[in-house]
Amino acid sequence: MSEFAITIKMTGDAKHQLNVTPSMTVLQLKEKIATDLDVSVDRQRLIFSGRVMKDNDTLETYKIKEGHSIHLVKGPVKSATTSTPAAATANTAASSPSAAATVPTNIEAGQGSFNPLAGLTDARYAGYNIPMPTMEQLGFGTDGMQLPAENQLEQMMDNPAFQEGMRSMLSNPQMLDYMIQQSPQLRAMGPAARELLQSDYIRNMLTNPQAMRSMMELQRAMGGASGLGGASASAFPTPGNPNAASSASTTPASGASSTTPAVDASTGANPAANPFASLFGAGAGAGAGAGAGLGGFGANPFLNPSFNPNLMNMFGAANAAPTTAAATADTRPPEEVFQTQLRQLNDMGFFDFDRNVTALRRSGGSVEGAIEMLFNGSV
Amino acid sequence: MSMKRITKELQDIGRDPPSQCSAGPVGDDLFHWQASIIGPPDSPYAGGVFFLAIHFPTDYPFKPPKIQFETKIYHPNINSNGNICLDILKEQWSPALTISKVLLSICSLLTDANPDDPLVPEIAHIYKTDRAKYEATAKEWTKKFAI
Repeated sequence: MSEFAITIKMTGDAKHQLNVTPSMTVLQLKEKIATDLDVSVDRQRLIFSGRVMKDNDTLETYKIKEGHSIHLVKGPVKSATTSTPAAATANTAASSPSAAATVPTNIEAGQGSFNPLAGLTDARYAGYNIPMPTMEQLGFGTDGMQLPAENQLEQMMDNPAFQEGMRSMLSNPQMLDYMIQQSPQLRAMGPAARELLQSDYIRNMLTNPQAMRSMMELQRAMGGASGLGGASASAFPTPGNPNAASSASTTPASGASSTTPAVDASTGANPAANPFASLFGAGAGAGAGAGAGLGGFGANPFLNPSFNPNLMNMFGAANAAPTTAAATADTRPPEEVFQTQLRQLNDMGFFDFDRNVTALRRSGGSVEGAIEMLFNGSV
Repeated sequence: MSMKRITKELQDIGRDPPSQCSAGPVGDDLFHWQASIIGPPDSPYAGGVFFLAIHFPTDYPFKPPKIQFETKIYHPNINSNGNICLDILKEQWSPALTISKVLLSICSLLTDANPDDPLVPEIAHIYKTDRAKYEATAKEWTKKFAI
């Protein structure tokens, strides 16, 4: 048996010449490599002609000839535990739908640390540890929520607890920042927005039942006039000048007095029945309603609820607060709230979950109404 | 013609194979080869040895060889059947190419995947959006199937 030279190729272009005989077994070859290259036998994998060479075969069986090259792959050290990349697979998106739902959807980056509604569940409102409706729900929120009648609204405003809630909300600088951030109009105003919100006029407006009442009267008088909507924001009144506010707010009165709430607001406004309930409601109102309301409708957020879904639901939230059942219903995910309706829609061949939920929200849970919207493409 | 060409390629690849690849006939049939690719050191496939099956068409080299991975591999351009999405194995094939060059191309595909022309869109998506996760999974698969 004549000896001949072969080449061992390793990763990184390293080569090693070796003299072998055809009758040599692969194991013998590996032992030779082990002494020459200091790679233990059990770490060696030899590959020739696209095949891993088996220890008991001879080189002859692989038809290895003079000048052929064999690849050497170094395996991991057997005894030592090699580092596993398993941990890296753990970084899956941990955001469950329920966790995401508790964060206002329109909250902006960097503001996540401050949730104006979060404080409402703190010790002051103990016994009322119901999570607040999310902003999304507030935005649509026709889930059984309706506007309170005007007199109920008044009653609520008369409640000192409500006024206190509003006042504390407006005196909280963080809350003000949040409100300003949430409203493009207020943001555009710069530092003036903060002054405006802190001004006695606004505070008075939101906390004084007298002011509210006069506004409602005005609203009645103006009823039917074409709404300027957001346009009134441009006519933002000078603080301390109620007349400017009155003249600026030529908004329709639809909605405010026509509908009655499912849950009586007077219970919520009655401190004797539940001293915390109205506070809770007030908080929700200032958080959701005032933020958008002040931005969109100038100094008069209460005047135009029909154009302001957030504000509308401020009262909705206030209404829902007195009964735990109603309040918890609001925080349920849409798939739960609309479970039966969604199943019906699915059965009818509407599979787009997001569209279905949007349609059901807008139709107030009516399957027929939702289907109509799904068909005419408005959602 | 094709026989002569394949024999020549076999001689060349036996004498001076690319450092990461090795290939040869399975048995006596010169039209059926097997190949192995050693996972490139600068890739998540490092340390693994991946086996491939090569079938030469009778009109080789005028038609490209059919090459499939026989080792499972987590890669945007290689699916679970081992099919490889590589242009030179399809419309970009040229008779001037050899098995050695094709295997080298596959090696470089392992180092640099082409997520814009994926065979497995899910892997391509992860490759593009969460590179760390892709590399971790590819390493895991290499460890499981190729070591």
